[in-house]
Amino acid sequence: MTSQQRFALVDCNNFYVSCERLFRPDLLNKPIVVLSNNDGCVVARSAEVKALGVKMAVPVHQIKELIEQHDIHLFSSNYTLYADLSSRVMSLLTEFAPRQEIYSIDESFLDLTGVCDQNPLAYGERIRWTIGHHSGIPVCVGMAPTKTLAKLANYAAKRWRQTGGVVDLACPDRRERLMKRVPVKKIWGIGSRLSAKLNQLGVITAWDLACLPQEILRAQFSVVVARTVMELNGTSCLPLEEASAAKQQIICSRSFKQRLTTFDELAQALTQYASRASEKLRGQNSVAGSVTVSIRTGIFNPDEVQYNQAISLTLPSATQDTRVIIKAVKRLLRKIYKPGYRYQHAGIALGKIRQVNEGLQSDLFIMPGQVESSTQQTLMKSIDEINRRFPNKVSVSSSGIKPKWSYQPENLSKRYTTHWGELVQVTCL
Amino acid sequence: MSDNQQPKSRGGARLGAGRKKGSSAYGEPTKAIRVPESMVPELLSVLEQRKQQVDLQTNRVLPSSFIHPTLDPLRVSIPLFNCRVAAGFPSPADDYIEQTLDLNQLLIQKPAATFFVRAEGDSMIGAGIHSNDILVVDRSIEAVPGKVVICALNDELTVKRLARKQGQLVLMAENSDYPDIPIQDEVELVIWGVVTNVIHAL
Repeated sequence: MTSQQRFALVDCNNFYVSCERLFRPDLLNKPIVVLSNNDGCVVARSAEVKALGVKMAVPVHQIKELIEQHDIHLFSSNYTLYADLSSRVMSLLTEFAPRQEIYSIDESFLDLTGVCDQNPLAYGERIRWTIGHHSGIPVCVGMAPTKTLAKLANYAAKRWRQTGGVVDLACPDRRERLMKRVPVKKIWGIGSRLSAKLNQLGVITAWDLACLPQEILRAQFSVVVARTVMELNGTSCLPLEEASAAKQQIICSRSFKQRLTTFDELAQALTQYASRASEKLRGQNSVAGSVTVSIRTGIFNPDEVQYNQAISLTLPSATQDTRVIIKAVKRLLRKIYKPGYRYQHAGIALGKIRQVNEGLQSDLFIMPGQVESSTQQTLMKSIDEINRRFPNKVSVSSSGIKPKWSYQPENLSKRYTTHWGELVQVTCL
Repeated sequence: MSDNQQPKSRGGARLGAGRKKGSSAYGEPTKAIRVPESMVPELLSVLEQRKQQVDLQTNRVLPSSFIHPTLDPLRVSIPLFNCRVAAGFPSPADDYIEQTLDLNQLLIQKPAATFFVRAEGDSMIGAGIHSNDILVVDRSIEAVPGKVVICALNDELTVKRLARKQGQLVLMAENSDYPDIPIQDEVELVIWGVVTNVIHAL
């Protein structure tokens, strides 16, 4: 007899907060938030902060009073630390399943089919305990016959303490009982716009969605929603994706510490983002066929004159050369830049991305199977290698030196796990 | 050409007229000479060879053994002698090479669960832990009495030896200047990890 399919979703609890706490026992049970890249918005909250009603992505200046009142600890995002701890969690998880899909920095699907049919809850508990103790990062485990249900199981494991952080939804009755209590917008793949539309149709809970007739689904919704409904009913449609697919779009965008007004300042910032994005592009061995630039003024201040514009162009031939991308970025910026505004945010996106070895000849003068001339490739490779060893040592001159828009994180913790000089101190007293 | 640049008198050598010096096919000035007719083919072939040694772009004569650059400077083909040259007697130890010694292999059993921390203070001197030493901490090892552990004590990460004295669990220093700390509530005690090795610089 073949056993029923079983997926697990293992999700770290308040991942960034847990990373910060691991080396700071004094912060256990204290309210903590981790801020976005420019110390602008809240990107992670400890349970204590969630209880205060602080929502995700709130600009930090909006919760200034709460921060002082409750002595909330602020951390700038320390991605070096988070990435290292994430890779530890992911590598520990490989011991529990023959196949793994790393879904995000703090979530991983496992294929547990036939691995723990006797006692799935005990197995889930072993995963939860082991990851928590060995890596120091607490996790919850949700198990079910489909990935969408595994996500739901994990949601339940996190939401209801009495589950002990482990939920298995192999039993259809349990699924039904849970889905009747969960609002439809909590279902994986159902965004806020979709859930609004579903609410209008009287679909309020996940169970309502699971019961939606196929005719209505096919008439009014996309195949994605139809698939979600099948998954909710226990038919697995989404397979485990083991190899992480190369990114189809690379975005690099930031808010500035100080408002920018001149073309040159914006061009400098965008040049730096373009450099970073093209480095990522080369890192995944891809080329980009299109470039998008966007700029906007502040959106949280209603008294301010607002301007918000984005523009794209298709490159004559796909490239991974920083200089070509920067040239395009500047051309685009020249088209949308308007003086007189106080810009707060800018970003670039690289699109039409494909792998270098797809072998399409993009330009008459370039050999098939080659994307750039070999001189271009050698130059970019050298720059990447230098920058890997000595971060930010080589850059395109138009990105400026110590520009005023650059952001200095104010509450950055140490890189405890990746730098000899920043190890945590333990006292012998 | 405008009027004021024209020479005033007619005839004679004109400025800038004729072939430029050194612009011949040989990269240097040439001279007309008389030669015996029977030698013409032979001399012409010598001159032809000489012409081919001139770099067309710089007009310089290349040494005859020089490799001619191609138009694409990164596609020069240089003959590769793809065979081994036996130089001397083969090493009799070749078959015995295994691997180099890796300290990670010695000090780390479980990389994903292993952390490095830096010790500060002298309370563990008896266990060989000096101030500023680096400790290798494995979180996957069970903390049982006898192990040197990192624990969270008074909001700080602290190194102690876990011990059982008269049936009571205690956190013990390895230095008589520091008293034992009895563990009242075993549930409350947060063990962070077990120290497996000390890295001490001399």
